[in-house]
Amino acid sequence: MAEHGEARGRVSDGGEPDGGEPNGRRLFLRAAMGGGLAAGYGTFAMMAGKFLYSGGGSAVGWQFVATVDSVGIGESIAYAAPNGAKLVVTRQSEGETADCFTALSSVCPHLGCQVHWEPQNERFFCPCHNGAFDREGNPTEGPPLAARQILTRFPLKVENGLLYVETPLTTLADAGDAEVRGAAPGGPIG
Amino acid sequence: MMTRLAAWWRERVPVSGVQLRELTNEPVPNHLKKWWFALGGTPAYLFVVQIVTGILLAFYYQPAPSTAYESIRFITQDVAYGWYFRSLHKWGATFMIAAVILHQMRVYFTCAYRRPRELNWVIGMCLLMTTLLTGFTGYSLVYEQLSYWGAQVAANISNAVPVVGGVAKHMLLGGEVYNERTLPRLYILHAAVLPTTIVLLVIVHVAFIRVHGVTELRFPDEDVAKPSHYDFFPDHLYTELSIGLVLMILLSAVSTIFPAMIGPKADPLTTPEVIKPEWFFYVSFRWLKLFSLTFAVLSTGFIVLAMFAWPWIDSALRRLTGSDDASVYIGIVATFLLVGLTVWEAVVEH
Repeated sequence: MAEHGEARGRVSDGGEPDGGEPNGRRLFLRAAMGGGLAAGYGTFAMMAGKFLYSGGGSAVGWQFVATVDSVGIGESIAYAAPNGAKLVVTRQSEGETADCFTALSSVCPHLGCQVHWEPQNERFFCPCHNGAFDREGNPTEGPPLAARQILTRFPLKVENGLLYVETPLTTLADAGDAEVRGAAPGGPIG
Repeated sequence: MMTRLAAWWRERVPVSGVQLRELTNEPVPNHLKKWWFALGGTPAYLFVVQIVTGILLAFYYQPAPSTAYESIRFITQDVAYGWYFRSLHKWGATFMIAAVILHQMRVYFTCAYRRPRELNWVIGMCLLMTTLLTGFTGYSLVYEQLSYWGAQVAANISNAVPVVGGVAKHMLLGGEVYNERTLPRLYILHAAVLPTTIVLLVIVHVAFIRVHGVTELRFPDEDVAKPSHYDFFPDHLYTELSIGLVLMILLSAVSTIFPAMIGPKADPLTTPEVIKPEWFFYVSFRWLKLFSLTFAVLSTGFIVLAMFAWPWIDSALRRLTGSDDASVYIGIVATFLLVGLTVWEAVVEH
């Protein structure tokens, strides 16, 4: 302890004399020390950031919805994805391709709440911030109209006259539930 | 025996009572005898209540989507005094946020943030933000319908912040959407990261107060013959302890009369017909209904930034207007706006 006390305030390693300008070796040692600390802790911080950012995605897959000719033009069907998410699949025009259909998400593009169909008002309504959408998912009221946000559309494909939609396979609603709900077309809406 | 024990203690802890008194003694201006000038100690006291009740609740709480709601129900309905400690924690949060806001308003309207105390105002703003975040993360842990959808909405709001929003949302949720990794994140933020941040900020906040001293205010009805200051220890400590006692009685009464309830379990597939955040976010929730998301987020960010920089904005305003009171008038308008939007959101369903 006493030796420490005696050494304090003096330069004993051949560096600059007390009060003088630091010499090259001292500057180098300071830079090495500062750089080493910054690099060491910086690397640690970067690794911690990446560790926290990792989260993994959720699996998606193609699901059968209906045969193409079973849905008339302008007709909509409610569809429950394997994860329980609600979709509305509508046939927009004549034809045998996926472009003739839309599959609207029930997630409001404003802030992620669930919209629901109001038959009396002929609209999808979001209770969070009073957003509304028409049958095609176009905004008609509230913040989504101001920002021109439409309901998200899921990818569709047609194979051998069968209509498929690509949706997430798991969701939080399944947490703690061993059984994953199966895909099931719902009834017509509106 | 006692003398030897005292000698043993003095040798190992060589600090005398006089030294302790000198260390803690800060001359306190007389106006701090009134409780509304001593509001800074109130959130600090409530923070201790939150730490104690929070630790008790943590013995039972299980932060996972499949277990969180059930563990809250278990605490509320099955554990001895569980309803009481949960209610104390809930009401303690409400009181703490209210006290922080009132303290900040007192500092604002008495212009106590002016030179040389600008940096301590910034620390205070950081404390306000951290306290609000702690309130938000705590409410999200209940995993009932409203708390789930509140977290969902908040994550998507952060997504709308330019440049860093996407990363912030991903970091908060532990993925692109609310998933099974989200609740543990909210829990560790609520129970470890944010409280530690509050403790560190309070240390710096108090250190600044010790360095600069408490703001001296002058009142026209002051008796000049009386001493203008009194001792922190023990006089002001007793004032704070009395406030603490009254707070504890109030908190206990409110917790007993209006105990914390538990709503329906979170359903990620159905947003409730009427959705509200906690009362302290009513303002921003109403703001979001009035304007487009981008404008609402950017304007909120601008307002918060202006609040952080207010000591310097105030200084510029005084130079420009030549008046000392511009900030006070702006503060009155802002308070009316704040209260008006909060009441508006509280009284309507949508």
